[in-house]
Amino acid sequence: MTMTQEGSTPQPALEPGTGGFGGYVDGVLGVVGMEMRQRLRSRGWYILLGLWFVIIGIVTGLTWWSWLVQERNNQMWDMAGDRSGPGPLIFELVLAFVLLFGLLVAPALSANAVNGDRAAGTLAILQVTLLRPGQILWGKFLASWIAGLGFLVASVPFLLFAIVQGGLGFTQILVALVMLGIEIGVVCALGVGISALANRPLFSIVVTYLVVAVFVFGTLIAFGLGSMVSEGPVRANQMGFQDVYYENYSDAKAGDPMPIPPGVTDQEGDRYCYGPLQEQTTVRTDRVAWMLAMNPFVVVADSIPYGRASADRQRPEGIFEIISQGARYAQAGPDATYPCANGKLDTGYLDQQTPLWPLGLGLQLLVAAGIVALGWRAVRTPAGKLPRGTRVA
Amino acid sequence: MTEFQPPPPDAAPTPQLAPALGLSATGLSRSFGEVHAVVGMDLHVPAGQVTALIGPNGAGKTTLLLMLASLLAPDTGTISVMGIDPVKDPVAARARIGWMPDTLGVWETLTAREILATMARFYHLPKGQIPGRVAELLELVNLTALADRKARVLSRGQQQRLSLARALVHDPDVLLLDEPASGLDPGSRVALRSILRTLAGQGKAVLVSSHVLAELDEIADGAVFVNQGRSVLAQSVAQAAGQGRSYSIAALDPDSLAAALASLGLAFEQGTGRRDSVRVAVGSEEHAAKLLRDLVAAGVDVCSFAPAAGALEETYMSMKVEQQ
Repeated sequence: MTMTQEGSTPQPALEPGTGGFGGYVDGVLGVVGMEMRQRLRSRGWYILLGLWFVIIGIVTGLTWWSWLVQERNNQMWDMAGDRSGPGPLIFELVLAFVLLFGLLVAPALSANAVNGDRAAGTLAILQVTLLRPGQILWGKFLASWIAGLGFLVASVPFLLFAIVQGGLGFTQILVALVMLGIEIGVVCALGVGISALANRPLFSIVVTYLVVAVFVFGTLIAFGLGSMVSEGPVRANQMGFQDVYYENYSDAKAGDPMPIPPGVTDQEGDRYCYGPLQEQTTVRTDRVAWMLAMNPFVVVADSIPYGRASADRQRPEGIFEIISQGARYAQAGPDATYPCANGKLDTGYLDQQTPLWPLGLGLQLLVAAGIVALGWRAVRTPAGKLPRGTRVA
Repeated sequence: MTEFQPPPPDAAPTPQLAPALGLSATGLSRSFGEVHAVVGMDLHVPAGQVTALIGPNGAGKTTLLLMLASLLAPDTGTISVMGIDPVKDPVAARARIGWMPDTLGVWETLTAREILATMARFYHLPKGQIPGRVAELLELVNLTALADRKARVLSRGQQQRLSLARALVHDPDVLLLDEPASGLDPGSRVALRSILRTLAGQGKAVLVSSHVLAELDEIADGAVFVNQGRSVLAQSVAQAAGQGRSYSIAALDPDSLAAALASLGLAFEQGTGRRDSVRVAVGSEEHAAKLLRDLVAAGVDVCSFAPAAGALEETYMSMKVEQQ
């Protein structure tokens, strides 16, 4: 194995360049450049972008319109309340739609990256160069991600419109955009990995859609079914309400407080917990909350910081806060949410501070990395075992 | 049962002289599930020569080339590319190998210049040298005028030439060309011939698979015949030309030709061509010259006297291979 580039043969006139980390990155960037050039020259991407722009525009317009109508009705009935403007509503709806469409578009952008090239006979040509399989996959993943981020950029005008309508902080919008970008990236990674594994582009695109569906709907179903079967014990005592007598009774007069039973363990306002702790059976959602956490909508909703003065509010504001609190509630489990669990009163809304999204995003990244690693094995050459019906070139 | 039946696979492979130069393969096998595409193939492609790889469709030529190009791992056997084992050290081997696949494999929306420049980058050519190298290659394959057109609009032959340029971009020592001449017009074929001869002249090992056997007579120094996944014969073109082959003879008066051949005691059969000719098996070129002399001496007005087929075609046809 002493034979290296400096063999006994006449040196090639053109000296192969250096390797190392810089060389690795240069190869990746070369693949990205090649892919981007092809994407930018295909009309399909522009058509998709145009459609996307129009659809998001329609969603924004309808949201704004519906808010105007509702606002007029509220004024008519004098229920204007403390609503601050359509900004948060438009922002959240547009964001939700951008995430939904992003999840729908990303597989189309990524899931034929490798097997499309294989079918066109160009993958093998890359494989015989000094490119390593990792460079090919990184390049294809980054290119599809960039193409996906293009869609995010196309939706920025509508998010700006939401900001102009008022109501949301800069941090929230920034975090939301970053998280949307990451979610699109996760789907792109899944798509590239699956396209390296599957033989036909159509098949890998469908499989990627199914995986996305598992993340979006499957996690909800799994969480729902999972919580039904994950019953468990929780130690809790009784909850009581501080009440008053409505009429004279014995020694007490109407309006006097009723006596509180002995052994109160926690009290807040007119609620209290009392009595001995007893084991009770309940649904331990904390055991299956990780499934819910993998839902892209939960990840995005949970990562966005809560709006102004959340501590003062008793109710969450907007769909994303509701999703986030619901998920955190599930994660906290009965120990935190069951009435009088461990003798403590349950907490109200917006009190669940432990974020769920790092767990969910981590699991998503783990799945994506696993699939890409399998894909990497499939594009390694010299190829050992080949999937049935595969032609190398 | 022909004389070119492959040796039994368990026969000991002929010991190679371990040539560090060029390309050699010993005992290569590769199967895809139940299909044994390549079974115990041996091959040697010396540096400085053009070697033809000849065999019917499905003989395992493309599989063999994929293994030699470091894309496919052989089940058994060893490969040496200028002394490097592409299975153990694919990157070092790939720096030495230029591979032109039988599928064209062009990026349709990229231009010829972009494709070559990107490939040069992937082969780690110094950035400053890339534009010059690309221009040089475009000139070599006569695509300069089309360099900035998208590859989609190139004709098949032009894409083929682009593919050849791509295989040459890093100035490899070993060239593996799978059907390089298919789809080329006659002018391009002549150009390809001279490119390959020039490369061999520079000391490169060139392996060409092709069906155009007459073409290979002109450019190849040697040939390897494969059939049903085995290498059945390795032969130099000089050997092929020296072996017995059939000549096609035509005379102004076919009857007198037939009579003369009969009197010389030679068996002949009617030719398959358009002209009214006969085919005669002749042992060597000396015998052919003597036959012509005898025919003329016998008063036959010979108007055409030539080998019925190219030297390699003769060998190929005598293999009586099965088309698969």
